[in-house]
Amino acid sequence: MKADALVNRTLSRTLIIGIGNRYRGDDAMGCLLADEISKAVSDKQKFNEQLTNTIDIIEHDGEPAALIDCWQGYTTAILIDAVSSGAAAGTIHHIDLQAQALPDQFRSYSTHAFGIAEAVELARVLNKLPPRILFYGIEGESFTANTELSGTLKRAATLLLQQILYIVNAEKKYA
Amino acid sequence: MNDDKSHQGKTKTIKVDYLARVEGEGAMYLKIDDGILTDVQLKIFEPPRFFEGLLRGRKYSEAPDITARICGICPVAYQMSAVHAMENTFGITVDGQLRALRRLLYCGEWISSHTLHIYMLHAPDFLGYASAVHMAKDHPKIVERGLQLKKMGGSIMRLLGGREVHPINVRVGGFYRLPTPQELLAMVPELEQARQIALETVRWVKTFEFPHFEQDYTFVALQHPEEYPMNEGRIVSNKGLNISAAEFDEHFEEIHVQHSNALHCVMKNSEQAYHVGPMARYALNFQQLPADIQAESKQAGLGEVCNNPFQSIIVRSIEVLYACDEALRIINVYQEHSVQQQDDQKPDKPFIPFQPKAATGFAVTEAPRGLLYHRYDVDNKGDILDCDIIPPTSQNQKMIEDDLWKFVPQYLSLSDEKLQWHAEQAIRNYDPCISCATHFLKLEVDRS
Repeated sequence: MKADALVNRTLSRTLIIGIGNRYRGDDAMGCLLADEISKAVSDKQKFNEQLTNTIDIIEHDGEPAALIDCWQGYTTAILIDAVSSGAAAGTIHHIDLQAQALPDQFRSYSTHAFGIAEAVELARVLNKLPPRILFYGIEGESFTANTELSGTLKRAATLLLQQILYIVNAEKKYA
Repeated sequence: MNDDKSHQGKTKTIKVDYLARVEGEGAMYLKIDDGILTDVQLKIFEPPRFFEGLLRGRKYSEAPDITARICGICPVAYQMSAVHAMENTFGITVDGQLRALRRLLYCGEWISSHTLHIYMLHAPDFLGYASAVHMAKDHPKIVERGLQLKKMGGSIMRLLGGREVHPINVRVGGFYRLPTPQELLAMVPELEQARQIALETVRWVKTFEFPHFEQDYTFVALQHPEEYPMNEGRIVSNKGLNISAAEFDEHFEEIHVQHSNALHCVMKNSEQAYHVGPMARYALNFQQLPADIQAESKQAGLGEVCNNPFQSIIVRSIEVLYACDEALRIINVYQEHSVQQQDDQKPDKPFIPFQPKAATGFAVTEAPRGLLYHRYDVDNKGDILDCDIIPPTSQNQKMIEDDLWKFVPQYLSLSDEKLQWHAEQAIRNYDPCISCATHFLKLEVDRS
């Protein structure tokens, strides 16, 4: 589901936000993983109807004002994005954003002056963070203009998909 | 921001690895010898992006969506210059309600882009905060107001453009899908609220303290006989220039400077800097603003021309107010047109038909940051043979350096920290978009 489709959403518990740009190599990871999570939660054999009613999955470009707006009303938000922090390509990072800020080196691969880190901190100051907000990042290898993930990212994304599905399953207990 | 201050012999250097609150990656270098400013360089190190090369061999129809990818803040500007240039190539004119809806889409981008800069990037300079997040701790309601206003611009872009960032609903000849009158009407209450916030914004920013820095600028902007310019008009200046988009190359040229990955666009022959953007538009088109907005400008302390770049934040807020007004007007007219046609869905076809032909087309539209020039050479199959794109920040780069040459000497007696603050503020006056210009800031002050 695209972010735009949430304008008239009803209250739901968990929002998974795949952030990125499908045309900038590994930066597409968040969007592609959102696709895979959508497919998985649509699989009624693995997830019951109750679960699919409690989770929304969106793709987002990371525009801060819209980002703050889109997670209002959710109890949990999970942000997934490719990062460029200097760690080894494929490294999976996990940050509890209620507990700490997104470090500078974990900022989205974006040159824009007001990005995801600023959105999270602004939302924190304005009391607009959801009760639970998690950030999952994978260290990118290549952010050049193409539509393919690097092999390293593909492997890491598969692992992260399993981690996120595990969290989603756990959320079911509280749904 | 990462400061690295070092003293080596007689040379004192301040390095800021990344200048905050500008769009993109770049640096600034100031050299001061014996208390005299001897060098100013606006360094753009974000790599060149070769979009013009990417477009060669592509279909004419791909230009609006590919060029929209140049910038996530002003994609509509790229789409508008692209479609107008292609329509100029093929000899077609988009008018009536299709033209009005394009103007409405541009209103959305002006509201969104200007509001981001006013509230999140520029206001902290005037109020002494390092960032909008710091400002929000003391002024949460004000920052929330800014977010709400920006959201309005995004809503317009989403409806008309299909989505807020990198919109996809614009095509040569019109749109892929037209909004229904009901969809437009649904935005009116929020737009009326946005207009009120825009008015409060003008009355807020006028209270800021502005350095005295009046300059004799060469302002260059579009001018249109019937409206404040967005998509169309002659390219005029306050120094006598009056040309069409097709004549742009005869009067302006891009030059390479060693310290920048973005070309500097200057006046041809003289290599003089010129000023594009809100202040230029305002100076050359004040008479096209509605009377109540003219009055609001004067109450905000502006004349019919504003020559102090630090007051550009007021001019931007005036343009946001205008864009809200204009959006409401366009929606109202669209409604009336719909009723007259007794068609409650789509009063016009989404685009006008045409045949590609081999020709060269030109267009200049008013991006939030100023003139955006596109030229395309297309063959008879509609394939792009060559193109040229000159964004506003490329045009303002030399002007920013010129401002620093004149502004910084007034503050040489200040500490490096305060000098840096003022210099960065002077750069942000232009809301530079480095990502566009490299289709740019770390600060380095070298004192000896």
